[in-house]
Amino acid sequence: MQTTPRLILTALLLAACQREEVTHFRIAKPTQATPPPASAPAPMAADLTAVPGMEPAKPTNALAWTLPAGWTQAVAGGMRYATIKPATGEVDVTVVVLPGTAGGELANVNRWRGQLGVAPLDDSSAQSARSLVQTKTGPFALYDFQSDGAKPSRMIAARAVFDGNTWFFKMLGEPRAVGSARTDFIHLLESLHVE
Amino acid sequence: MSNSKLQKRLWDAVTSLKLTLVCLAMLMVLVVACTLSQVRLGTLGAVDAYIHSFIVYWDVPGSQWSVPVFPGGALVGLVLTVNLIAAQAKRLEFRFSKAGLWVVHAGLILLFAGEFVTGLFQVEMQLPIEQGETRNYLESPRDVELALVDTTASDHDDSYAVPESRLEAGRSVAIPGTPITFKVHRYLRNAELLRTGPGAPPSGATAGIGPDVALRALAAASNDDTVEVRAALVEPIADGKSYGTWLVSTGLGAPQSFVHAGRSYALSMRSARRYLPYSLTLKKFSHDVYPGTDIPKNFSSLVHVSNKSLGEERDVLIFMNRPLRYAGKAFYQASFGKGDTLSILQVVENPGWLLPYISCVLVGAGLMLHFALSLGRSVRRQRVAVGGLT
Repeated sequence: MQTTPRLILTALLLAACQREEVTHFRIAKPTQATPPPASAPAPMAADLTAVPGMEPAKPTNALAWTLPAGWTQAVAGGMRYATIKPATGEVDVTVVVLPGTAGGELANVNRWRGQLGVAPLDDSSAQSARSLVQTKTGPFALYDFQSDGAKPSRMIAARAVFDGNTWFFKMLGEPRAVGSARTDFIHLLESLHVE
Repeated sequence: MSNSKLQKRLWDAVTSLKLTLVCLAMLMVLVVACTLSQVRLGTLGAVDAYIHSFIVYWDVPGSQWSVPVFPGGALVGLVLTVNLIAAQAKRLEFRFSKAGLWVVHAGLILLFAGEFVTGLFQVEMQLPIEQGETRNYLESPRDVELALVDTTASDHDDSYAVPESRLEAGRSVAIPGTPITFKVHRYLRNAELLRTGPGAPPSGATAGIGPDVALRALAAASNDDTVEVRAALVEPIADGKSYGTWLVSTGLGAPQSFVHAGRSYALSMRSARRYLPYSLTLKKFSHDVYPGTDIPKNFSSLVHVSNKSLGEERDVLIFMNRPLRYAGKAFYQASFGKGDTLSILQVVENPGWLLPYISCVLVGAGLMLHFALSLGRSVRRQRVAVGGLT
């Protein structure tokens, strides 16, 4: 009579002690996309039921852009979404995406200025330094900073929150090269659209 | 007190109607407390804390202590089930005239058992899929995993997944089949990723993208719509060689990679996956509205099911109240996005999904049987009475 309760208790204890294990799956690498097979006939509309209250999922759209003539783009990993190289000059353009507001605009402005070795700005000074670039996905805040000294640098950086993520487009390099690439960089920003 | 007296008192307590009423009152208290705490814990957190638990704990403010304060829904439900079974065994007579009541009680007990089976074994996943895309895995809407993918082979990837429950700071997790062991330095259930700068020190990572990122711990999200960003600092060690400390997070876009002994490994934290032995292709998602309005009339997903091991290739239309039931799983139309090109299917695997239906049938049939037997007895009594008068 006492065997059954003991067995149940033992099974419960074993179940409680069981820990989740590391799993392994072998997955075939994706081949070239094949078109879906031909469609089956859809049912009559009268068979279908309305879906009250069904909400669209949070969008997870990514941004895309058109490269200016002669510019090249490299595939990136991690948070660096893309690395772009203008046609000429010692200039790097990076695209970085971070979740949320990524610390806010002023913190990022002063982080950029810190990279150039120039003094941070207060809120009102940052507002004065800010201009806007209109894109199909909304306005981007644009900043243009330059450092002097033995090795002067110039940075043109744009930032906007889109779809819950903060997108950074930053062009950094030798002042003259950055200046000559500025117009194309603005055109790249203006070409931004949802992928 | 003698042993037999003690057993009798215990049996009386287990079978008492008072215990039934106390359990029902406790369930009401739990439902109210659970509802109120949803503001603080979110729906799932509150249900886990009050309904799916055996004991409800109170976290003492300002300390690490948790004090048990009330029996949880699982314990009360278990006691109530035992009470109902025992009361039935004690009070109900094993006669055909009581057969209806036996069936009704069996149906109620099955209802409770079904809730236990659902609570213990039900798995809810999601299948987000875009038009033209084929997927052979489901994703958890809540759980994440540390994924290590060996991408060396040209025709396949070997994917190793470390469940979230193993990511505790200070622990080491060996990856079977590989020379790699992960040492977990830090794990954050909810975090914010920032660029490093004044007031935002580096994350502590020494390799990959992590050194350029600051990590800030956040409180667990109480809003069900808030997506938590999980993050961890892990150190892959292979054949005694450390590859540095890497930041992995659901907030990072792409996997990071390293090479050991000629093999390439991609490292990422992602939604926990469950791979399927078949695949689904979304052929078309439809979002129909009533003519001249924006009022939704229908959402549906036309999917192609391909199960090569069974030689099965067929199209299925999934829409509200018409899920695809396949291989023990039910695929429901749940949501959509990306300009009506993305369909999100809710996938539920519940081995006890039939139990509530069976219990409802049993309760209904039992009541009808009891009514029929009582009616028969009443008619017979009336006939006897009328016969006596004439």
